[in-house]
Amino acid sequence: MNMLNPILARLNKMPRAALITIGLFVALGTFAPWLAPQDPSTQNLLEAGLGPSAAHWLGTDHLGRDTFSRLIIAANTSLVSVGSVLGIAMTIGILLGTIAGYHRGWVDDVLMRVVDVGLSVPSLIISLAVIGIVGPGYWTMVLALALAWWPMSGRISRAVAVSIMSKPHIEALRVLGASPWRIYFCHLLPGTIGSVMVYATADAGTAALAVATLSFLGLGIQPPTPEWGQMLVDALPYLESDPRQVLLPGLALTAAVIGFNTLGESIALNRVPKPLTRRMLAARRAEVASWSKENSDA
Amino acid sequence: MTNSPVLKVENLQTRFKSVQRGKFIHAVDDVSIELYPGEIVGLVGESGCGKSTLGRTIVGLEKASAGRVLLDGVDLSTLSGAALRKSRRALQYVFQDPYSCLNDRQTVGEAIDEALLIDGRSSQDERDRRTKELLDQVGLANAVKDRHTRELSGGQRQRVAIARSLAVNPRVLICDEPVSALDLSIRAQVMNLFLRLQKDLGVACLFIAHDLALVRQAASRVYVMYLGKIVEQGPSQELYDHPSHPYSQMLLASVPEVDPRVEKLRNGPLLVGEVPSPTNPPSGCRFRTRCPLAVESCSRKMPAAHGLSFGHSAACLFAPELHEGRRSALH
Repeated sequence: MNMLNPILARLNKMPRAALITIGLFVALGTFAPWLAPQDPSTQNLLEAGLGPSAAHWLGTDHLGRDTFSRLIIAANTSLVSVGSVLGIAMTIGILLGTIAGYHRGWVDDVLMRVVDVGLSVPSLIISLAVIGIVGPGYWTMVLALALAWWPMSGRISRAVAVSIMSKPHIEALRVLGASPWRIYFCHLLPGTIGSVMVYATADAGTAALAVATLSFLGLGIQPPTPEWGQMLVDALPYLESDPRQVLLPGLALTAAVIGFNTLGESIALNRVPKPLTRRMLAARRAEVASWSKENSDA
Repeated sequence: MTNSPVLKVENLQTRFKSVQRGKFIHAVDDVSIELYPGEIVGLVGESGCGKSTLGRTIVGLEKASAGRVLLDGVDLSTLSGAALRKSRRALQYVFQDPYSCLNDRQTVGEAIDEALLIDGRSSQDERDRRTKELLDQVGLANAVKDRHTRELSGGQRQRVAIARSLAVNPRVLICDEPVSALDLSIRAQVMNLFLRLQKDLGVACLFIAHDLALVRQAASRVYVMYLGKIVEQGPSQELYDHPSHPYSQMLLASVPEVDPRVEKLRNGPLLVGEVPSPTNPPSGCRFRTRCPLAVESCSRKMPAAHGLSFGHSAACLFAPELHEGRRSALH
């Protein structure tokens, strides 16, 4: 329990609503197959387009599938695809960014020009181009988005890596005779990952939106796998007669995106030290003083 | 002092590319210094005269464009890769800023442990024992080893930095203004600790500082540097009593006195103006643009070092006269 305390204290500082939303999203996404009350793909045309009832808590869609179950399974789809997109993009970005930041010189120049090219084209257009060439599909979409996403994290990691490399503690390691491997893997990489992860949280919302957008356009997740963007497009013809079918996946998507953005922002803000109160300062001073041995320099 | 120098720097030159195309900043220009085992040597000069660059070049943080660094007679430029890192480990550097020279993500124990690990000690027990010993040597309780370095005060951090440098058993310590970032009260503590450790361990030390009083107290010999060149060198007592280069004289005269009555009597030429740009240094003697004694021949060539007394020399045409205190005779 003691191990958990610092984590709990840290969580306590974040906006609770965003934390709960994202917690719910992650929990639902992870355990979706066990949580969904009904099979999300079972059609029952006799019950199509019905409102909420005891059998279907949030009603059914135009094919009579249980909306609640579909929303939950869609959370899983979204979580996995966003996770894979960011995972792949961050890995490529951090790897190339830190290599550029470590080496500088021509390696830096070449890698950053590649990043510039990547950044100059809007990410959705790159994804559309890749999907257009390879053909729509789940993993195509993940790869296409990752391909569009990595230049951003590459640029950020490079900036972070450069600032870490110019710090005297890296110079101190050089003087101690640390091998380049030790400097790269024990100091540069962990430091960069820590900082870039913050951006990843804020990016997760945008990535979720991009996944939904591609699925909405029919280029991402293919039916019958439930996905929020795809549920939206399915329900679009019934927008006027039964707005519930559009609103529910729309709300779920909005909550996830806003949750991620708020959370990312608060993590970034939490990294800025807050002013200390007088009591905190006094306690701190007493503790620090106890570390030095008395009269050790006499 | 009679044995061979542990560190010998021969005609070292460091230059950086200037923002102006094709021009170079000559930060360190043709500098030769020697350090004997167990002695503290001061290196003084104004800001921007190349003191730190000289120190950084010696430990390999900057690339020398010419010259050699010999450690125990071994030319470091002939080594490379792991062999270079291993040899250079005997040369350690204490940074000016105790806040940024330690990794915030590490605890004190981890920082020192890493240095020991780099030094090739594979046994965890031995490293733990040595860490405890080192912390004890720098006057920190063993409990500090589980603290993150960011939680420590400036003085405590500098102690940790010193402990880390000592972890690899260096033969030469290059201290780049190690106490100038600290409070005055802490400064004395850390300085005393440093002097005691230096004496106990017999490490040779190049002490870079702009605090002349501190250097006088600590160092047995002093080098005075101006615009990338050593202008005067000598035993500190001798040099402080008989500064023989106009620059050294002015540098020493510029130190204010604490006692206002003494301060009122303080006379002598004061330094005016700024150090000229090292991109385009003056011809001949580098100091001639600010020197009150400069004559026409100063601009032709850099004056050779005049030997004045044992170990004391100054690179000035008038060094013998200045050494004898006959400054007025020159005007």
